[in-house]
Amino acid sequence: MRTTALPAAEATRPRTVVVGVLMATAAVFVAFAALVAIYVQQRQAARAAGAEWFPDGSVELGPAGMMMMTLMLSIVTVQWAVQAARTEDRPHGFIALGVTLMFGAAVINQFWFVYQDTAFAIDGGRAELLFYAVTGSFIAMLIGGMAMVAVTTIRSLMGPFGRELAHGVQAAALYWHMCVVCYFGVWYVVFITK
Amino acid sequence: MTLTEPAVADSEAAPAAPSEVPALAQPFVTSDSATVGRLFVVVSLLLGLGTSVVGALLSLGRTEVVDPADMFGGLNAYFRMWTLYRVSFMLLVVLPLLLGVAMAVVPQQVGAGNLAFPRAALASFWSWLIGALIVVVSVLAGGGWGAVDGVTGNESDAMALTLLGTAMVIVALLVGAVSVATTVISLRRSGMSLLEVPPFAWSMLVAAAAWLFTLPVAIANIVVIYADLRGRPAIAFGRAESPDIWLQLDWLVEQPAVYLMAVPVLGIAFEAVAAATGSRSSRPEAVTVIVGLFGLLAVGGWSQDYFTAPQDLRDGLVYVAFGLAATVPVAALAGGAAELVLRGPKSLDRLLDPRMVGAGAALKLLGAAALVGALRVIEPFDLLDTAATWAVFHGVVAAGLVAGVVALMTWPQRLSIRPVPAMVGRGTVLLMGAGASLLVLSDLISGFMSDARDLMALALDANVVLNVVNLVGALLLAAGLAGTAAALRPAPARSEAA
Repeated sequence: MRTTALPAAEATRPRTVVVGVLMATAAVFVAFAALVAIYVQQRQAARAAGAEWFPDGSVELGPAGMMMMTLMLSIVTVQWAVQAARTEDRPHGFIALGVTLMFGAAVINQFWFVYQDTAFAIDGGRAELLFYAVTGSFIAMLIGGMAMVAVTTIRSLMGPFGRELAHGVQAAALYWHMCVVCYFGVWYVVFITK
Repeated sequence: MTLTEPAVADSEAAPAAPSEVPALAQPFVTSDSATVGRLFVVVSLLLGLGTSVVGALLSLGRTEVVDPADMFGGLNAYFRMWTLYRVSFMLLVVLPLLLGVAMAVVPQQVGAGNLAFPRAALASFWSWLIGALIVVVSVLAGGGWGAVDGVTGNESDAMALTLLGTAMVIVALLVGAVSVATTVISLRRSGMSLLEVPPFAWSMLVAAAAWLFTLPVAIANIVVIYADLRGRPAIAFGRAESPDIWLQLDWLVEQPAVYLMAVPVLGIAFEAVAAATGSRSSRPEAVTVIVGLFGLLAVGGWSQDYFTAPQDLRDGLVYVAFGLAATVPVAALAGGAAELVLRGPKSLDRLLDPRMVGAGAALKLLGAAALVGALRVIEPFDLLDTAATWAVFHGVVAAGLVAGVVALMTWPQRLSIRPVPAMVGRGTVLLMGAGASLLVLSDLISGFMSDARDLMALALDANVVLNVVNLVGALLLAAGLAGTAAALRPAPARSEAA
C-alpha cells in the first residue's frame, strides 16, 4: 500500500482575522449600545420629571452633521482600500488608507470644536456627564479604528499586500464601518433629538 | 493499492514548535495553547481558594460568634469583602477556569494545531492576572464597588482603581473568549460542520457569544461610573459613599447573567459522562440545541434594574420567562446524560468513576440553581432581593467549579497535568458538591424566611442553625478547592517519562 500526499486544498473556512475582529467588533458595539441606552433612559427620566436636558441652543447640529458627512465619505475610502488590497493595487491602497486616516483625524478635530462650542462642564449635571461619556467613548473607539488602519498601512509599506494583509484591511474596514454606525446613533440621539 | 490523502490545509495556526526559551520564561513568551490554558487554570484555582476562604469568613460573620462589622474592621470593610466574594467567584475564578480549560482542550477537539491568535490568548492571561491583582489590592486598600457607611477621599480613589481593574479583567476574558470562539469557527478541520463539533467546544462557542453580548454592558456601566467618580464629587452614578456603584453592577452576578458561568458546564458534564461510560448519544444534535438555548438564556445585559423601577423589569414577562425557561435546557441535558449512562455498561466501577460523579454533581447543582431561579421569579413566593438570589449564585458557581475539576480529570494530557487520582477526584467533587448544596439550601430557606430586604442578608443572624449550615457549606467548598489545588501536578517532561 502506498500513500501519496496531494497538494492541500484551499481552505474554505471563514478568514481567521476577519472572524476574530468581527467578534471583537460585536463586543465593542454592545458596549457602546449599552452606553447610548443609559443616555436615552436618563434623558427620558429627566424629561418625564419635567427637567431640561440640554439648555436650548447649547448643542449645535451643524458640526455634528459635518462629522456624519465626513464619516460617510470614510466608508467609501476604507472600502476603496479593501478593493485595492484585493487587487494588489498598492498606490490606490496607500491613498485610500491615508485618506481614511485623515477623515478620522478630521472627526476628532470636529469633536474638539464641539467641546469648545458647547463648553459643558463634566460635573454640570447628568446630561453633561453622559454627553462626555458617550462622545468620549466614541472618540476612543475611533482612535482604535485609526490605529488598526495605521497598522495595516505600515505593514503594507513593508511588502506586497498578499492574502493575510488583505484580510487585515478587511478586518479594519469592518471595525471602521461599525464606528460609523455607532456615530450615526450618536448623531441621532445626542445631536438631533437632543 | 494507492490511497490518496489530502494534506490538512486549514490549520492556519500551526502547533507551537518546541522552543529553546528557558522554562521560567515560558509563561511570558509561549504561544502554546495548553500552556496558556494551564496558567489560567492554576491561577484561577488559587484565587478560588482565597475567595472561598473569604466566603467562609463572611459566613462566620453571619453567625452570632463574631459581629460581621467587627470581623473585617467596619461595615464598609464587610461590604467590600461581600462584594469581592461575588465578583471574584465570577470574574476571577469560574470564568477564567473554564476559559483556561477551553484554551487547552478546544483546539485539539476541533483538529486545530493551536488557538487562533495564540499571542492574544497569552496577553489575555497576563492582562487578566494584572487586572485581578489590581482588583484585589484596591479592595484591600479600601476600594471596592461602593460603600454603605461613608468614605474618605482615599477610598474613593481606591474605588476608581477597583473599577479599572474590573474593566481590565472583563476585557481580558473577552479577548480569550474571542480566541477560543475563532478557533472553533475558523480553524476546525475540513469536513467538520459547526453542528458536529464536540459538545464542550460547542458549549464554549455558545458561551463566548453569550459573554460577548453581556460582559461589554458591564464595561459601559463602568465607563459611566468612572466618568462620574474620578476627580470630583460624584453627581449621579459614582457616589462612592453609597452602595449605588454595586447596584449598577450586581446584575452581573444575578439571573440571568449568572448563567454565563454555567454554559460550558453542560458541555463538560456531557463529555465527561460520555468518556466515563464509553457510549455515544443517539441524538447529538439535541445537545447542540440544548446548549444553544441555555446560552441564549444567559444573555443578561438587559436585566439591570438600576435605571428603571425594579418592579417594572422583574415583574415583566421576559424576566419571568427567562427565569422559568432556564430549567428546561438543564433538565434536558441531564436527560441526555442519563441516556448515555443507560446505554453504557452498568458496572459499579463506571458509575463511581470520578468523572461520572463529578458530572452528576455539577448537573445537580446547576439544576438546583435553575430551580431556585425559577422559584425566585414566581411572584407569590416573594423571593426577589432575598438570600435566594445567592442560592442561585452559589449553585452556579459550584457547578462551574465542579465542572472545572471534572475537566481536569477528563483531559489531563491536554492540560499537561498528571491525572488526578480517582479517590482524590471523587473526594474533592463530593466535598464541593456537599458544601454547595448546604449553601444553596441555607440561602433558599433564608430567602423564604426573611421579610426585610437586606442587601447583604445580615438579617439572617436571627437564625443560628441556618447560619451554621451556611458556614459548614462554605468550609466544605473551600476544602474541596484546596484538595483540587493540592492534587494538581505538572505532567512529567518527555525525557523523564521515558
